[in-house]
Amino acid sequence: MIIRIDEYSDVPIYMQIRNQIVMGISSGELKAGEQLPTVRALALEIGINTMTVSKTYQMLKNEGYIMTDRKNGARVRENIAQSGVISEDNKTELRRIVSEARLSGVPKAELKKLIDEFY
Amino acid sequence: MPWLIKLIMFICVVPTALLMFFIAFPANPSKKKMIFGVRDNPKFHEGDAAAKLKLITSSCRKGALIITILVCVMSIVLLFLPTNGMTMLAWILLVYGLFLIAVPFGKGNVELKNLKKELGITKSGVTFTDLTNTNTIHSLKLPWLILPNAIALIAAAISFLIDLGVIKVDVACEQYALTMMGISFLFIAVILVPIAIMMDNTRNIVISKDSNINANYNRAKKKTWADLMVAMSWANALFLTGYSILLMFVNSEMVILAGVLVYTVIIMIIVAIGAVNQKAIEKRYARDTNLELLDDDDYWVFGMFYNNPNDTRLNVEKRFGYGGTINIAHPAGKVILAITFLLLLGTLILVAWLAATGQMNELNAGINIPGLDN
Repeated sequence: MIIRIDEYSDVPIYMQIRNQIVMGISSGELKAGEQLPTVRALALEIGINTMTVSKTYQMLKNEGYIMTDRKNGARVRENIAQSGVISEDNKTELRRIVSEARLSGVPKAELKKLIDEFY
Repeated sequence: MPWLIKLIMFICVVPTALLMFFIAFPANPSKKKMIFGVRDNPKFHEGDAAAKLKLITSSCRKGALIITILVCVMSIVLLFLPTNGMTMLAWILLVYGLFLIAVPFGKGNVELKNLKKELGITKSGVTFTDLTNTNTIHSLKLPWLILPNAIALIAAAISFLIDLGVIKVDVACEQYALTMMGISFLFIAVILVPIAIMMDNTRNIVISKDSNINANYNRAKKKTWADLMVAMSWANALFLTGYSILLMFVNSEMVILAGVLVYTVIIMIIVAIGAVNQKAIEKRYARDTNLELLDDDDYWVFGMFYNNPNDTRLNVEKRFGYGGTINIAHPAGKVILAITFLLLLGTLILVAWLAATGQMNELNAGINIPGLDN
């Protein structure tokens, strides 16, 4: 799986990595139980501080997407807890996207098509 | 100075100068990914920019060609000049003169960066990392690297013990000649091991969205580096061992110099094979490259020195040529840079001092071979 880091983005690097790992798990690029690189290896590979990667992994662990242990490192969770609801933050983000699309004149059908494609 | 020493210097200087010229200043730079260490950009080839680019590349190439020809001509002249301290000094200065070939490269780099600013090309700052391949692509088999260097270490230790008289063997050469030679070859081994490990641990380059292509590309590149280092280690160890045995029976400077000449040629052949393999890999994977790579031109001072305080890596792949370089913004990089600079400066001062005080002539007299001089 390829991670794209934009140094000049307003989104912090730890969040960029987190978002792309979540998208990778969702799309199946990262399979259940798949081993993730160690904090040190990933930090060296991207050329960033280990604390940044550590923060990402901690966040993913708290959100229930990955599990970590001293012996096996970080892995994608076999069974990710499904709450069945969209978080308030994501609802706000989705609302912003829909609003911008509407103002740009994107038809509703087009937006639904995109959701179908990404889902 | 025996003609063999001059021949060794000639073999080292002239091919290096020619290689530097042809690698850094290709006839058609527009076909390369990098032009003077600046990433090529489609905007460079449009309208006035194309004319400016042509002017910059041709003027820098011309400057480099003049310096390369001068270095080659001076090498030929020195080959036939009578031997004295000044000739030796001139050879050393000529080795340093090789660095001058890089000056037009640096000039071209600065001018192209200015052109980028004029054209409003801003750095994208996007970098790609292949999560699947992180820390999994290695080609260096450590035992194959350690074994020859361990042999070199043992051979050097035995030489030292023989010179100390701990091991009783009648040797033909002068006392401590074995030890000196052992230390020289061991020094190369000590440098080769960390470089080999560093090159095997360099960051993987992401050229494609396909992880398998990235894995194969990086594995192939690391394999050529690993093979190069292992081959050099074996050449080093075998020469050290063979030489030590030879010196026990023969006390001839002619044999010593002939050996150094053969060793130099073998090392240059190994490096040339490595460079050819590396070029073949780049050519093979050029059609699979479908990602725009990170624009980090501003972190490459004169296109040669990587100085990025935001990058935690110590070693990175070079922008042109073959192999890797260090990040001089890294604390360890600063130390390595300072040591390298001091070594280069110290050698120059020492040679200049030896020449100025006339001691260079004494050194030459010590290695003269009757009938072979000049």
